[in-house]
Amino acid sequence: MNTPRQITLPQWDARYARLRAAGLCEPAYGGPLGRHAADGDSRLLRLRLDDSPAALRLWNFLLTEDERLYQARAAGKRIVGTMKDLGTVPVMAYALENVVAFYPDGAWWLPCLMERNTKLLEIADGLGIDDSFCPVRAMLGAFAGEPHFPLPDLLTCSVGAVCDDFSAIAQRLAGLGFPILWWEVPHRRHPEGGETAVPLPGGFLAPQSQVAFVQDELERVRQALAAMAGEPLSDERLRAGIAEANRVRRLLEELRRLAFTAECCPLGALEMLIAEMLAIHFCSDRAETIGVLEELAAEVRRRVDQGVGVLPAVEHRRACSHGGRAVPARVYWVNPVADLRVMNLLEDAGGWLCGSEYLFCHALLPIPEDLPPLEALARTALADPMVGSATDRAAYVVGDARRFAAEAVVISRIPGASHCALEGQIIAQAVRAELGLPVLEIEVPPITDALEPGLRTRLEALVEIVHHARQR
Amino acid sequence: MICAGIDAGSRTIKVVLLDPQTREVLAAGVRDQGVQQDLLAQQLLDKLLDERGLGRADIRRAVATGYGRRLVPVAEETITEITCHARGVRHRVPAAATIIDIGGQDSKLLRLGADGGVRDFVMNDRCAAGTGRFLEVLSARLAVRLGSLGDLARRSSAPAVISSMCVVFAETEIVGLLAAGAAAADIVAGVQAAIAARVAAMAGRNVTAPVVFTGGVALVPGMDAALAAALGCQVAVAPDPQLTGALGAALLAADGNEG
Repeated sequence: MNTPRQITLPQWDARYARLRAAGLCEPAYGGPLGRHAADGDSRLLRLRLDDSPAALRLWNFLLTEDERLYQARAAGKRIVGTMKDLGTVPVMAYALENVVAFYPDGAWWLPCLMERNTKLLEIADGLGIDDSFCPVRAMLGAFAGEPHFPLPDLLTCSVGAVCDDFSAIAQRLAGLGFPILWWEVPHRRHPEGGETAVPLPGGFLAPQSQVAFVQDELERVRQALAAMAGEPLSDERLRAGIAEANRVRRLLEELRRLAFTAECCPLGALEMLIAEMLAIHFCSDRAETIGVLEELAAEVRRRVDQGVGVLPAVEHRRACSHGGRAVPARVYWVNPVADLRVMNLLEDAGGWLCGSEYLFCHALLPIPEDLPPLEALARTALADPMVGSATDRAAYVVGDARRFAAEAVVISRIPGASHCALEGQIIAQAVRAELGLPVLEIEVPPITDALEPGLRTRLEALVEIVHHARQR
Repeated sequence: MICAGIDAGSRTIKVVLLDPQTREVLAAGVRDQGVQQDLLAQQLLDKLLDERGLGRADIRRAVATGYGRRLVPVAEETITEITCHARGVRHRVPAAATIIDIGGQDSKLLRLGADGGVRDFVMNDRCAAGTGRFLEVLSARLAVRLGSLGDLARRSSAPAVISSMCVVFAETEIVGLLAAGAAAADIVAGVQAAIAARVAAMAGRNVTAPVVFTGGVALVPGMDAALAAALGCQVAVAPDPQLTGALGAALLAADGNEG
């Protein structure tokens, strides 16, 4: 039996050669991971990656997105860039035969992956969007500088109750001559007396008037998508699209349940983060997303059944003094990180990712299939944690952290992100009050190398607190 | 046999030698930090051992802490300064409920549980405005020794207001205040109040007494009073506050031998 472990990129390339010799079958975008570093994604050289063929497929899928988009364009497909919206318009776009959607905001990882060699942040600086804004401003650089993705045939952006800084970035993009179809999501509020309350995925309520408003907005998006594709986007097609999106969401739910409730960590924090991100826009290929997640879930299920984990047991001083080996501290993580290396750092410090809320928990929940499709999508859009209050988001985090028996919570602030300035303290207070867990707030810029000692100290201290608490 | 605690901080290295049976401090020392942290730490350790007529072979267990803890190969184990400060304070001030540690590069607030262990903590982020670095900048700008800043602050009648949240910008403000004829004493008192305000903001509204103050900045006279004013409660300076982390590391080394 192969004991899973995390390996470096050079180790992966050696392993790849052995797997190929043993008959590994791969999709068209497969190949050794080292080629991505050679192409400029040099950050990969400093990451530790899961050594399974399923993880190989996941990484290759993520790192070939731009190539696959260009191939889709060459094959005559229409391309939609869905900005800010986390998981609603892509469901609609993929309901059309000849359309692929991607997430331009995903360019925020380019400064990390390419260790700032792209100069995307510097381009954004030059356009007046400096580091007082969220690192997603790299997207602006990606549009304005050398192409990192094909220019989309249609660019949509949700506005209203979204981050202020993102709205500013998108407006700057529009000002540069990139036409954007704006659609509005209002701030989700609780129904008032006399208003009809509508349940949303995730358990929150919204007034019927807000659902109807968003439904009308999505109707405009539907018309625009159909006009671009040259084919109608019927309710029937939308229903089929929702059913496929729900396949992805169910797979992710299973993956999360398996990974976060196992007795030892079956999949590292980095791969879990990447896997969850697929929910937003299917990494430009919905069918392949399902294949990638099925293989990953099968690998994790196998590991759970065999009781094997990917992290070495932590030698903890107090545990050792009692002759034991400590299980890593179960840590719930709030917000995605701009530098992927920090997820490895959590594990270096003795942590184990046991739950996460990366700002798109609504994209992991099933879209209602028993409602008219646009209404179902409107309800899902309104369940977005970023369009509700910070208190609502804190309540979700508390519930999810409880569900996965987290022992500590890390709130990872995104520098410049307007929502992070306030939310962190509210979430921390709720976690402390409701769960009595230690909370750590950190800030993660696109490259953390110079900050690593400080981040490591904070994460190690959090793990030490968990170990101390276990002994009480 | 003895135990050793080595605190490789951002500005200084501290070493404490401890009798694991009696928990008596046998020797302690401080020296400035440098590039070759491992060498500097070993030199200080060897000097203290030599003064006691001991050698490396007499060390049963050593624990390193502080920013440079991973660069001290003489220690078998590393533990963060958060845990070490809590252990050091529990030894010296068992009733402590909150620790404020201000060092050269960062400031921390530790909330302790009933057993003296850390329940939760907060640390400053990248800004140095709540740290000893602010005092160093001030000391250099005013050409006053760090150790004299407290005495100078005591002579202040109207502390200056420092608005900037960033040390670099705050230095610009200090230049402006000097140009405007502000008294050095008022500037020092203003900087002390600004550091205390940063720490109080980091602490939020939930500070439980007794509050114990550790770290090198606790040696600066007047900082405890500035913190007390900002927090609205009494703040006690720990005995040998600069050595608290190294003491905690030595105690944890001794604790580890008990099992």
